[in-house]
Amino acid sequence: MDLLSNLAIGLATAATPVNLMYCFIGVFLGTFIGVLPGVGPLAAVAMLLPVSFYLDPATALVMLAGVYYGAEYGGSIASILLNIPGTPSSSVTCIDGYPMAQQGRAGVALFATSVASFFGAIFGVIVMISLSPLLAEFALLFQPAEYFSVMVLGLIAASIVSSFGVLRGLMMVCLGVLLGTIGVDINTGDTRFTMGIAELRDGISLVVVAMGLFGISEVMVALRGATQSYAGQNLRGRDIYPSWAECRRSFMPALRGSTIGSFFGTLPGTGQTVASFVGYAVEKKVSPNKVEFGKGAIEGVVAPEAANNAAAQTAFIPTLTLGIPGSTTMALMLGALMIHGITPGPRLIADHPDLFWGLVVSFLFGNFFLLVLNIPLIGLWVRLLRVPHYYLYPTVVIMICVGVYGVSNSLTDVWATLAFGILGYVLRLFRFEPAPMLIGFVLGPMMEEYFRRAMLLSRGDPMVFLERPGSAALLTISVGMMLISVIPFKKISANFFKRLRI
Amino acid sequence: MRGKSLISHLGPIIMLLAGLAFAWGAVATLDLGTFRRMGPGAFPLLVGGVLTVLAAICLVQNIRSPIGVGPADYIAVLGVIVGVAVFAFFTPRLGVLPATAIAVLATGSAIPDFKWPYRIMLAFGVAISVWLIFVKGLGMPFVAIKGL
Repeated sequence: MDLLSNLAIGLATAATPVNLMYCFIGVFLGTFIGVLPGVGPLAAVAMLLPVSFYLDPATALVMLAGVYYGAEYGGSIASILLNIPGTPSSSVTCIDGYPMAQQGRAGVALFATSVASFFGAIFGVIVMISLSPLLAEFALLFQPAEYFSVMVLGLIAASIVSSFGVLRGLMMVCLGVLLGTIGVDINTGDTRFTMGIAELRDGISLVVVAMGLFGISEVMVALRGATQSYAGQNLRGRDIYPSWAECRRSFMPALRGSTIGSFFGTLPGTGQTVASFVGYAVEKKVSPNKVEFGKGAIEGVVAPEAANNAAAQTAFIPTLTLGIPGSTTMALMLGALMIHGITPGPRLIADHPDLFWGLVVSFLFGNFFLLVLNIPLIGLWVRLLRVPHYYLYPTVVIMICVGVYGVSNSLTDVWATLAFGILGYVLRLFRFEPAPMLIGFVLGPMMEEYFRRAMLLSRGDPMVFLERPGSAALLTISVGMMLISVIPFKKISANFFKRLRI
Repeated sequence: MRGKSLISHLGPIIMLLAGLAFAWGAVATLDLGTFRRMGPGAFPLLVGGVLTVLAAICLVQNIRSPIGVGPADYIAVLGVIVGVAVFAFFTPRLGVLPATAIAVLATGSAIPDFKWPYRIMLAFGVAISVWLIFVKGLGMPFVAIKGL
């Protein structure tokens, strides 16, 4: 009963014409961004952040979220047609999607991914509806020590999935946290690390960091590869429907993919890429049609797509109930909320039920839009891929400039964005991935706050983090995760067996 | 090969310096407080210290087996830098729309095979879209064209 009344609240928020329109704009833009290789959902959300300041918080979040999960739908289109993943999480879809396209079954593959994505997303939303209130209630028991430990867990998880190793990921997290300390200390009012620059007193703005690290530096990477356009295949409407046998073969993979995806989405820091990889790996293990994998098996498309879309939805659970972002894009979303004066955390659902449930209901609408739109629009996306990409990147640069300038009305911020863009590019050259840095930057100030509060409550005893069972458990999990990724178990076991034989 | 691996040490070294700078800055300029009531310097000192240690480990690892540095595309970087700089320079002098057009031209010039007529077309197109979306649509307080 409670659920129904909550959904009614959500419907009242989500079904207004304005919110429906922005939901539509969001998912449409998201698909567009997802289709284009090189520009990810992260850059897109970063670019739309300034625009969202001019909107109502619920509307802004509905649109940003739409971009985020819309990109997951779009990402698979480029994977299937061109063997180039539109988003990192759809790179697994290339393995079986592209062979399907080569066999002339591109339409079937695209149809299957759309439906699988829809299935996964709805599954994820249902998990979110049932889990979030419980988790929020549980999180009310949290004390500062637990909050600190949850954030440690999130940051470690974020650095583990970083592509250049845990160590480099952790270093970027630390750098992000340190950058977050610049500005006025909220406890004492002292300024920190401003070097006498007045603009730094309020700290570095999230918009500047995000646009620089992800917008500007991504364009720098992609700009000159922009000369070629991609030739896709022609698609005809009647080729897109899978056969009944294929539908039946796809159901269980979709269900397994959604379950796996939902699980990985809720873990802070992991996100959709891990979800889709695990989804594919598991499917390959359990499927009765193992031999077809890699040669155009429909299961190999359905499972990872269901997984990454489910994960895209469940990633909102830790973000909204604990205030811990599930991925970098979620960190930006969190930043958007905070700029609107809403503190994400266990009280969010109770304090802003219209926002939370409105967002949940908008997910249902958005995914429905995506399903209904994408199938007839597949032809349009294919044509879009043929447009030379050199039109895109100069436009993106301007969107970033105008966006940053529009938020603060200050050109100093535009220069600062450029500086962060160059920093991001240089760090990439040296094999440091900027994503964990952004998560550190967003979580850092909160982490410090909880750390200091926990120490105050324990009268200066740092053992509080290990004495409180909740906090101890979270820290143990963090350390365990780190050990698993650092210790080369394969090497050790190989050595062990070698010794046994000799 | 040797020169390349030397350059690749720069990454961890930069991080090491950043960690040291924050940790030292915290000790030198900020109040550390006590364990019970931590001052503004305590947390930066802690995290800066962690970063320094991690960077040192990373440096040692990198000396043992260097990770290659990615290929840099200076023209692309320059194209983007000039684009943003041009925008920031001309906006207060000419207004947002002319600055936009010039910036698009500047960034577009870095892309080979992008013919001049198309570059100019794109510059005008983007300027008009900025006007429609940001000035007309969202009503942002921009000076569209100075003197108009």
